Amino acid sequence: MSRIFGIDLGTTQSLIAIMDGGAPRVIEEATTGNALLPSVVAMAPDGRVEVGAGAIELEPHLTVEKDGRVSAVGFEGGEYGAVIRSVKRYMGLGGGEVAPEDRVRYTFADLTGPVVRFKVGSRSFTPPQISAEILRALKARAEQAFGDKVERVVITVPAYFNDGQRQATKDAGRLAGLEVVRLVNEPTAASLAYGLGKMAEGLVAVYDFGGGTFDISILNIKEGIFEVLATNGDTHLGGDDIDRAVAEWLLAALPDFVKTDRHIWNSARIAAEDAKKRLSDLAETEVVVELPSQTIRKSLTRAALEKLAEPFVTRTIERSEMALADAKLKPAAIDAVVLVGGSTRMPYVREQVRTLFGREPLCSIDPEEVVALGAAVQAGVLMGTQGDLLLLDVVPLSLGIETMGGVMERLIHRNTTIPTSIGDNFTTAVDNQTHVDIHVLQGERELAKDCRSLARFKLGPIEPQPAGLPRIEVTFLIDANGILSVTARDERTGREHSIDVKPSYGLTDDEIERMLEEAIDLGEQDLEQRLLITARNDAEQILGALHKQLGEWASLLQGGERERIEEAAERLERARKETDRELIATLVEELNELTTPFAERIMDRAIKDALEKKSVDDLS
Amino acid sequence: MIECPSCGRRQAPRLTCEQCSAPLGAELDCFAALGLPPKLTIDLPALERLYHDLSRRVHPDRFASANSKVRSASLRATALLTRSYRTLKDPVARGLCWLELKGQKLADNNKQVPSDLAELVFDVQEQLAELTAERSDQLEATVSARREEVDQAMSDAFENLARNFAASDAGGGEEQKLIADLKTILSRIAYLRTLLRDIDRALKNANAA
Repeated sequence: MSRIFGIDLGTTQSLIAIMDGGAPRVIEEATTGNALLPSVVAMAPDGRVEVGAGAIELEPHLTVEKDGRVSAVGFEGGEYGAVIRSVKRYMGLGGGEVAPEDRVRYTFADLTGPVVRFKVGSRSFTPPQISAEILRALKARAEQAFGDKVERVVITVPAYFNDGQRQATKDAGRLAGLEVVRLVNEPTAASLAYGLGKMAEGLVAVYDFGGGTFDISILNIKEGIFEVLATNGDTHLGGDDIDRAVAEWLLAALPDFVKTDRHIWNSARIAAEDAKKRLSDLAETEVVVELPSQTIRKSLTRAALEKLAEPFVTRTIERSEMALADAKLKPAAIDAVVLVGGSTRMPYVREQVRTLFGREPLCSIDPEEVVALGAAVQAGVLMGTQGDLLLLDVVPLSLGIETMGGVMERLIHRNTTIPTSIGDNFTTAVDNQTHVDIHVLQGERELAKDCRSLARFKLGPIEPQPAGLPRIEVTFLIDANGILSVTARDERTGREHSIDVKPSYGLTDDEIERMLEEAIDLGEQDLEQRLLITARNDAEQILGALHKQLGEWASLLQGGERERIEEAAERLERARKETDRELIATLVEELNELTTPFAERIMDRAIKDALEKKSVDDLS
Repeated sequence: MIECPSCGRRQAPRLTCEQCSAPLGAELDCFAALGLPPKLTIDLPALERLYHDLSRRVHPDRFASANSKVRSASLRATALLTRSYRTLKDPVARGLCWLELKGQKLADNNKQVPSDLAELVFDVQEQLAELTAERSDQLEATVSARREEVDQAMSDAFENLARNFAASDAGGGEEQKLIADLKTILSRIAYLRTLLRDIDRALKNANAA
């Protein structure tokens, strides 16, 4: 049987690790010696993919040339390729759930469907497909290091991931050609790495504040059994949020449309992240963002950074208190506190954790490597090489069904040890009813509409009978990965009932099959229709924006420019009404190129205006 | 009879195969799942050790490379084991499970609320309604005092439950009376739990307001 590898598929960075002579170790990239792979994926319209440092270079940003000129580089607007960062934030989400501030940072092909679709040239990609690229890069790295095929893996997920987010992670593995033997919760994995060396025992709290997610897990570690008592968290809360807050502060003086410019925003975000890291050691630092016409230069103190970070850190402390309450423990009862995730390098975060638990937290294992190391330990457990070690994890969110009046009826409570199952009986409400619909939900709220919809099941066909007579026993089973499956049985006949499952979010099995095929054969008929719609939308978008710019910034147009632009716009307007997708795409590209100098002038002027206004304000 | 998915031996339903000790995936009651006799008194630390020991034998992580039949049996056996452990750990759930084994339902011949409890429930609910309508420090203090009273009644009920468990396990006649008593105590606890939950909710809301 082939070896099992452990993978930490993180929001900002990913790692792969393996058990090596009784101890876990991370596998480094051969040429650079880096263990951390930035979770950044660049996708070109021609199918070329870059992951990690190579992708970051292609991300839209501003760069200072040798002659001192600042220019914009990188893939732009999806049309010429897309660079996707923090794709984990989109796992298991529907198109309509993309946050408003994110809608300007990427180009999406569809903002209504059950899954997010990033636009790349004339194609679109879902988060599992993009995550699969990160997994492929890690797989290649490990294969190069071991000269052996990587086929089976353990992948870690935030403990607070819901069913859909977990399913999306498994889909990513499948798309990367990997068998995901087990999903392990990140804080639990970290506790394995600490527990293996007996560095933490008894009642242990794992505080995991990463790039994009926060988890807190309370465990009882005793004689090789790692039993999770309670877990809590927020799958959209991480160091990313602090970087954003600092970037907003840096660009505060600029008008919104400049702030949301992808090149400017990314440059500010990178400067913000660097400054945050420097302030872990320094008390004050200068943050510089070079813009085409101006330089933003601001001084940031550690105290000011802490003020910006405070709302996010406070939320982690509140979640930690909730987990303690669920475990029915006082903070003082905890024997050890373990720090996990890059964000725990911030002195302010450590201080808040220390205050809550009244003890010095442990961080002897690198907080950015500990989850991958723990995943490797769990891989060892699955290979049968770790003796008596066993994880008993819990389901983070209650699971239930929608009942009369839109109320959520809880069947499995949060923090129930998994695997677990529960049966529930269903019957018909009217005579000769042939189907029963079941709406499965996850969450802690009273009303179904406030909970996360997981799936709708259609039970049947049921033999026509008087209402209330059929007895169908439905079993809800949550496996060790925290993923739900449902089976149904007719109590009278003992026959298994077929169930038609419609997941509320994410990909269906058929879609994954198709994606696997698409990777081989790009030709797709129904794809053509979608691509045409996408091309038309693009045309509409660029024409609308252009119309506005020509009105507002007419003074910035140079001789003959308006005529050339209007002529190209006219041609695109005509093509948009026809069905030649290629022609629309070509004309969009042409118009884009033609208007680039004009757009750059607008940007320069807007920044200048904003900064001059600012300095006048400062003087007065 | 059930067939072991691993070695094929036919046997009476139990958690693991009597021949090869692989999980069978059989349906069992909460006592049988842990291989325990249906006794009401349970040593909790010993129960935890037993649960951990059995988990090590049946958990899916032990069968990651086994065939799908064995993996499926392991999953069902572990789900049953965790559920049964949770039931046995909680004296009330344990009592209910035991009654069910005896073919008894809690509601049968056990409909009326004990008179002393009815009075308490009525009084407290009235005070909670007042507190919700208009918060005052004095009302809050009264409700907090009532909470202690209910808490005390709860402890007493649990002591009664432990005595009833011991008497049942000792055997020797009077089984029907002990079952009737058990039902009374369990419904008493159910009423008190609901009351405690309502008090806590009202106090929390009063504090938030």
